[in-house]
Amino acid sequence: MTGATCFLPRADLDRLFAALRADDRTILGPAVSDGAVIYDEVASPAELPTGWESDTEPGSYRLRETGSSRAFDYVLPVTSWKRYTHPAFVPLTRARRDGSQVEVEAVLDPPPRLAFVGVRACEIAALDIQERAMRAGPIGDADHAGRRDAALVVAMECAAATSTCFCTSMGTGPEVRQGADLIASELDEGFVIRSGSATGAAMLAGLDLEPADPAQVERAAAQVAAVRTRIGDPVAVEGLPERLRAALDSPRWEQVAERCLACANCTLVCPTCFCTSVGVASDLDGQEATTERHWDSCFSLGFGRVAGDANFRPKVKDRYRQWLTHKFSTWFDQFGSSGCVGCGRCVAWCPVGIDVREELAAIAPVEGPRGPIPWPPAPDAGHAPAALTVVAPARHVTTSVVAVTQETADTATLRLATSDAALLAARPGQFVMVELPAFAAPPISISGIRPDGLDLTIRSAGPATAAIVALGPGAQVALRGPLGRGWPLESAAGRDVVIVAGGVGLAPLRPVIEAVLADRARYGAVRLYLGARTPGDRLFAAEVAALAGRSDLEVAEIVDRAGPEWLGQVGIVTHLFDHATWNGDRVTAFVCGPERMMQATAAALTGRGVDPAAIWLTLERNMACGVGTCGHCQLGPFFVCRDGPVFSIAELGTAFGREGL
Amino acid sequence: MEPQQLIMPGRRSPRADAPNRPRIGIVKFASCDGCQLTLLDLEDELLAVAERVDLVEFAEATSRRSMGPFDVLFVEGSISTAEQVEEIVRLRAVSHRLITIGACATAGGIQAIRNWFELDEVRDTVYPGPTYVESLAQARPVSDFVAVDGELRGCPISPAQLREFLVSMVTGRRAQLPDEAVCLECKRRGVVCVAVADGIPCLGPVTRTGCGAICPAYGRGCYGCFGPRESANTASLAKWFSDSRSAVEVGRLFSGFTAWSEPFRATIDAHGGPPGQRADGSEPRDA
Ligand SMILES: Cc1cc2nc3c(=O)[nH]c(=O)nc-3n(C[C@H](O)[C@H](O)[C@H](O)COP(=O)(O)OP(=O)(O)OC[C@H]3O[C@@H](n4cnc5c(N)ncnc54)[C@H](O)[C@@H]3O)c2cc1C
Ligand code: SF4
Ligand code: SF4
Ligand code: SF4
Ligand code: SF4
Ligand code: FES
Repeated sequence: MTGATCFLPRADLDRLFAALRADDRTILGPAVSDGAVIYDEVASPAELPTGWESDTEPGSYRLRETGSSRAFDYVLPVTSWKRYTHPAFVPLTRARRDGSQVEVEAVLDPPPRLAFVGVRACEIAALDIQERAMRAGPIGDADHAGRRDAALVVAMECAAATSTCFCTSMGTGPEVRQGADLIASELDEGFVIRSGSATGAAMLAGLDLEPADPAQVERAAAQVAAVRTRIGDPVAVEGLPERLRAALDSPRWEQVAERCLACANCTLVCPTCFCTSVGVASDLDGQEATTERHWDSCFSLGFGRVAGDANFRPKVKDRYRQWLTHKFSTWFDQFGSSGCVGCGRCVAWCPVGIDVREELAAIAPVEGPRGPIPWPPAPDAGHAPAALTVVAPARHVTTSVVAVTQETADTATLRLATSDAALLAARPGQFVMVELPAFAAPPISISGIRPDGLDLTIRSAGPATAAIVALGPGAQVALRGPLGRGWPLESAAGRDVVIVAGGVGLAPLRPVIEAVLADRARYGAVRLYLGARTPGDRLFAAEVAALAGRSDLEVAEIVDRAGPEWLGQVGIVTHLFDHATWNGDRVTAFVCGPERMMQATAAALTGRGVDPAAIWLTLERNMACGVGTCGHCQLGPFFVCRDGPVFSIAELGTAFGREGL
Repeated sequence: MEPQQLIMPGRRSPRADAPNRPRIGIVKFASCDGCQLTLLDLEDELLAVAERVDLVEFAEATSRRSMGPFDVLFVEGSISTAEQVEEIVRLRAVSHRLITIGACATAGGIQAIRNWFELDEVRDTVYPGPTYVESLAQARPVSDFVAVDGELRGCPISPAQLREFLVSMVTGRRAQLPDEAVCLECKRRGVVCVAVADGIPCLGPVTRTGCGAICPAYGRGCYGCFGPRESANTASLAKWFSDSRSAVEVGRLFSGFTAWSEPFRATIDAHGGPPGQRADGSEPRDA
């Protein structure tokens, strides 16, 4: 596809602009605004930053007027192209609630036809890296995919570099090799330009340019070679992911947290960071509602918050560690590449000048340890989508409440009717996002799978869940799902099954019990250990009583605090099998409950000889998307929503139970 | 963005014809009325709001007065006199939820700057006939005296946040009042950072969002109107400012509408206090 290199005289740059416009594209490129070069709409070459250069240092950016006739001698603007492929605000849904009727529909605006002019080598790499993150699936992001596919990229090789650049170390630049439709280099007299795609080739042919003089091509090459020399190789990347993994407990995290403002600027200027949160807006009565997603960051406290004001990353040091390890280490596990392209934006635009290069050198020194690897790669690690096909918009299925069973004072089971094939094909352990217009959608596990619908068992933990459990028969609610990986029941075939549940944790295990009993002969001994805070907090009490009456499984219950009517055991759930005589090596265990309870249970089970690869549990994290694109639920290399929520202890390695991850 | 705790769980869509429209009051102490008046900024929706709530006390717009009880009482202004202390304690007792609005009520407001000085000295400067002024030694946030169930920050509060709060009240959902830094809103809007590009000191990284990053959008640094955000690392920001400024100047940067709230207050103290003459006639020390 790469044809001959042509020469585009400076005066003819507007012909390229005209060709892009003739292709029905809005042209975006560099322009000077508010004392900086930013990317914005540029109507003509006259609006380019001709005669401007920029200097950056940690925490500082300055524009400098040179009077030169060149337009692309600035270094990277604060804006990255993600503003156009992954905008700061994207509408997600429109919803209506009319009496008991509920309807939620996905909003997917047609992508704008854009031309990005002046894209640098590191930025091309960033576009690809972010696209892989947003399309890694199994459910990719339709908005991002549409925008990326519709954009035309005109690359401009760098002729200048600044002290914050380190593309050379990250292997992304400064030379542009691929990933652009047109690839240009600026010389004083104009541009040498070649095509990088069929679209680019056609456009170039239309411009009918003279071939470039070999001397011009040589000058362009010398220019970018000088940039490479100027930058040098400031970051030692060899073994960096492993070095960082070995440094999770470095004292330096505390030290950088003393300086770090947790202001999130680094992540928002980073061209590959993709994290978002969902905002809800509605009319006064909550009848008409919309949701949108907006840029968010692992530096915000709210990012890791879950019900009951618990938080998985309460400290700034946890958040800084998430940022640095994600960019330079766990990104490899997730998407098969580094999450950093070396653009230096995070260094320049940090209001207190914290420099990732310096932190990397201090936290994960080259001569430092490299192992042991604390976790094996994520189950779907590094899976670039096979083909970048158009991604379907999200499906929001309206279901009707058929019956409500009050399980405990604050927990109810909603029996929902649906004929949606995908929902009915849900597997035990999967979950859905439950959407009631005007409320944030909570992730809820499926607690029953029937031929004509699903059960959800929900504890009123906050406003959204309170509103959902208050729904009565006949009311509607929308579901998005099923999501996540279910319990691997197949792996328990021919083995003994141990099920340990704490509180509402029994909900996602109920379909396991049902599936095991439906195919009872397939399994060895089946044992149920159920814990609850008080006798009144026991879920599915009648069902459990019926199970206890069966001879083909064992049921034991325990409560933290007994009432006068409780004749059973009191204590934590692991007490139920402290003195059991069963043999651990035949056991596959399925565990769900509060994280502390799961840690204790996992320890007790491994203590009894159960293989960590056969201890499965389901994790809770803050979730906004449920499909691996919002970043909220990350735990080390894992997206809990997409790679889990069911994991084995062996898969999680030391990520399980590690504070602040 | 993280939503703030809901105000009235379970309450849904009360309308004018519904018997249980929440009884709302709006009262003020030492302040300028700007925050209460934000309610009038809701223009198009004001009537609709009025249908859904029973506004039993709102001195700015109606002549109705109530002694309570209130389902929700919005309180504007800082507490500066002994009478005001008595009054806020009484109001708390008759209010199911008490919500402070604005920098004065939530942080003491600009008048809290006087908390660093001798009262007499301030009185002499401000009022010609000081004998008529009955004042506590300090202007303090409402939460120093009574329990507060929620707050709307800002000087003045943001109409969008007020609307969000009212909607959350009526629908029963969690109000989305993020506690994150102004910087996030600033970057989402695509504002060029004035701190990095122009060297203008900006409190955005330590200030709670809600204003829409108005000041940076107009080329000014953030003054901290919405007060400290979660995890506000003022020590680090002050240290960065100190590289090119004297301690007095750094202290002054934090001495705005929310100066009295921690950790701004501690940072001001660490830099010799807010600007102004001390009782002994000295200027704040230049550490
Ligand atoms: C995979 C998974 C399965 C779950 N299954 C169940 C279940 O079967 N039954 C059950 O009762 N609970 C379950 N939970 C917990 C449930 O999701 C939370 O209790 C619920 O989100 C709390 O919402 P709320 O009513 O407080 O909502 P609000 O207070 O209105 O809003 C809470 C806000 O926090 C955000 N948030 C995101 N993730 C969480 C989270 N995990 N916890 C709290 N807030 C969150 C939401 O975006 C929302 O905006 C599950 C959680 C996960 C991650
Ligand atoms: S490293 Fe810098 S930009 Fe990033 S959160 Fe910390 S202070 Fe803000
Ligand atoms: S981590 Fe920093 S240097 Fe790397 S791509 Fe992101 S902003 Fe650029
Ligand atoms: S979790 Fe990763 S992608 Fe998301 S904001 Fe943090 S560093 Fe960026
Ligand atoms: S201008 Fe202020 S609020 Fe905006 S990003 Fe910079 S420091 Fe933050
Ligand atoms: S990535 Fe969005 S919830 Fe997992």
